[in-house]
Amino acid sequence: MDLQKRERRLAYKLMAPAMVVLLVVALYPLGHVFYTSFTDRVFAGARDAQFIGLENYHRLLAVTVEELPPVIDEETGEQQIDEETGKPVYERPIRVLPRQPHAYRELTTFSLFGSRYVLGARTPNFIRAIGNTLYFTIVSVFLETVLGLLIALVVNSEFKGRGLMRATMLVPWAVITVVSARMWEWMFASSRAGFFNMLLDRFGLIDRSIPFLTLRSFQVPAMIAIDVWKTTPFMALLILAGLQMIPQELYEAARVDGAGKIRRFFTITLPLLKPAIAVALVFRTLDALRVFDLFQVLLARSRYSMASFNYYELVANRNMGLSSATGVIIFIIIFIFAIIYMQMLGVEE
Amino acid sequence: MKKLLILMLSLSLVLFFGVGNVQAEYDVELTIIGGAVGEEFETTVRAAEMYMEENPNVHVEVLDSPDSADERLSLYLSFFEAESPEVDVYQIDVIWPGELEDHFLDLYEYGAEEYVDMHFEHIVENNTNIDGELIAMPWFTDAGLLYYRKDLLDKYGLDVPETWAELEEYAGIILDGEREHNPDFEGFVWQGSAYEGLTTNVLEWFASNQGGTFISPEGVITVLNERNQEMLEMAAGWVGDISPAGITAFMEEDARAIWHDGNAAFMRNWPYAYSLSLETDAFEPEDFGVAPLPAGEDGEPAATLGGWNVAVSQYSEHPEEAADLAFFLAGWDVQKMRATDASLNPTIPELYEDEDVLEANPFMEELFDVFVNAVPRPSTVTGDNYSAASSIIYTEVHSVLTGEQDALTALEYMELELQDLTGFEIGQP
Repeated sequence: MDLQKRERRLAYKLMAPAMVVLLVVALYPLGHVFYTSFTDRVFAGARDAQFIGLENYHRLLAVTVEELPPVIDEETGEQQIDEETGKPVYERPIRVLPRQPHAYRELTTFSLFGSRYVLGARTPNFIRAIGNTLYFTIVSVFLETVLGLLIALVVNSEFKGRGLMRATMLVPWAVITVVSARMWEWMFASSRAGFFNMLLDRFGLIDRSIPFLTLRSFQVPAMIAIDVWKTTPFMALLILAGLQMIPQELYEAARVDGAGKIRRFFTITLPLLKPAIAVALVFRTLDALRVFDLFQVLLARSRYSMASFNYYELVANRNMGLSSATGVIIFIIIFIFAIIYMQMLGVEE
Repeated sequence: MKKLLILMLSLSLVLFFGVGNVQAEYDVELTIIGGAVGEEFETTVRAAEMYMEENPNVHVEVLDSPDSADERLSLYLSFFEAESPEVDVYQIDVIWPGELEDHFLDLYEYGAEEYVDMHFEHIVENNTNIDGELIAMPWFTDAGLLYYRKDLLDKYGLDVPETWAELEEYAGIILDGEREHNPDFEGFVWQGSAYEGLTTNVLEWFASNQGGTFISPEGVITVLNERNQEMLEMAAGWVGDISPAGITAFMEEDARAIWHDGNAAFMRNWPYAYSLSLETDAFEPEDFGVAPLPAGEDGEPAATLGGWNVAVSQYSEHPEEAADLAFFLAGWDVQKMRATDASLNPTIPELYEDEDVLEANPFMEELFDVFVNAVPRPSTVTGDNYSAASSIIYTEVHSVLTGEQDALTALEYMELELQDLTGFEIGQP
């Protein structure tokens, strides 16, 4: 046996314990979730689970589009017009959507080429949860990146008390999410006991208090606001580390050549910062896609993220099979995002 | 370095044996998990102390759990899924025996016969499964009540409302008057968040308007009818009118907080709020009262049967002792203490004649019929499916309260989904 071969065997032997640990703590639970997702297992139940194939996935993802027929007025033979809104009346979606073999529920209605359609889903709450999570992820990560970059640039420059500034900046990140979620819940409270309502009231901007956390149009933006508050420091820190890697000589050389501040930022800082921003983006995006605590604490069952839907399906409705399928779908969505990032940013090089 | 290591090792040894010694002081360690709404937690701790005085060889630890019944169930289920022996005695909701029976011991095997006869028969029946096993001992019973401000009714020359329409009207009158000098004033507060508590509120609306109890005891789904639609439309109109716009996120304690500050004319809540209302600075004890909830135009008032029981875990390491603790908690002394200190309604009828209990809670005598005739949720007929059925009910109703769906559509979906879930027939109440 030559040296190379012996070394390789030794390497495998040394790696074996780590591989075993990985198998036990990562692959086994993952495989188990995959397996459970094909059954109708009940959480904390005594009955044996049945194998039901892809039924759980069908239940979560099945959608259908049906045309809504116009409601014809019997006297005139023309389509009825709603007296209050002045809009033409169509059949109600619940009458049109299929009930057998599976019941579909209205997700949304839309018009196309003069006809009215309804988009139905077997589990509209899950489809909405995917939408909520994507909306949350894209907006919050975008804002965090922009603000994080600005803050990193500021604390990277020389000024008095810079060390203190860098330390205090991290406070929101250090607070446990559930604690900060509760704190924000009080600030968003629906009476004048809440900070925002008190503020708006003080300036005479509102007559009645705004229930931020129950108004649908405010719910996800409120979650985004909290997440941006909490995670921007983390983003700033990662970008700051990248900034400090850039050699000062480059700036000096550029200055000698007569490049202005803006020019220096776009030709030196930003290109050299790309790897750091890429890492930060991947981190935050994958993290945001799994968002659970904010939605669970603040919105509970009035609006779901993918992970909080998964949680309630498991522990409240006790559908372990269905929630496992949810877990698998979340896994796949996150996987797709990871691949897109790797392709776009060339991380593997 | 070496010195440090030795120091660490010896320290951990001391800690190890030290902790071991503490544990050795007691023969048995029991853990009970219960609620912390109002003064529940404090009185449970007091009950545990009473038990430890009588049984010096036992140490009882009390854990608290989330206020929301659904969250509490989630927590319990994760204990059960892991078959954890960590908790011996569980405080369980009156709707859970059917759903959780697999995880609790049959208390008859531990001598419950001796104790059950003194409790309300309908609660014992509720806690007994089809095989005749006693899943839990009754601990306290609950029924939804209408809290009202006497002083404000007098001020505007109004009586205690007997119908929902009257409640709406009176709350509006008081609201308009009070808000002139108190912008935080609300007319009527209740529980509108998407959780089990909303189901209990809705049951009262529906049942008192002759709209049925969602699913009849015989297994007929009765949600879709004009009476329920009318009630639901009325309640949706309260949101942001006589009730705060944020009511759709309210649980018991959120409603009580507003009431407690003197900022509500009416409140729907459980009896526990009574003793706490005596302690507020915002109004005098004689300025508020409790009454049966209003009814529909031609209906009878309905109060949802609530209440909690104590059950012993299958996975307990000390089942004998845990059962003994459960019997003690459900017994005369503890129930009396919890009734006088925390307005938790006893499940022992004779305690409703006890002077100390009645002195602390005069309403318990006046409203005795309300407690005895409280309307149960359809948990027996739905069995395993109750939580899922209730979550269908409160999710649909919640979407009406927040204005996402109209009442008719919500009731149609409610009917459809309940049928999908249970396979029951559809009918009229």
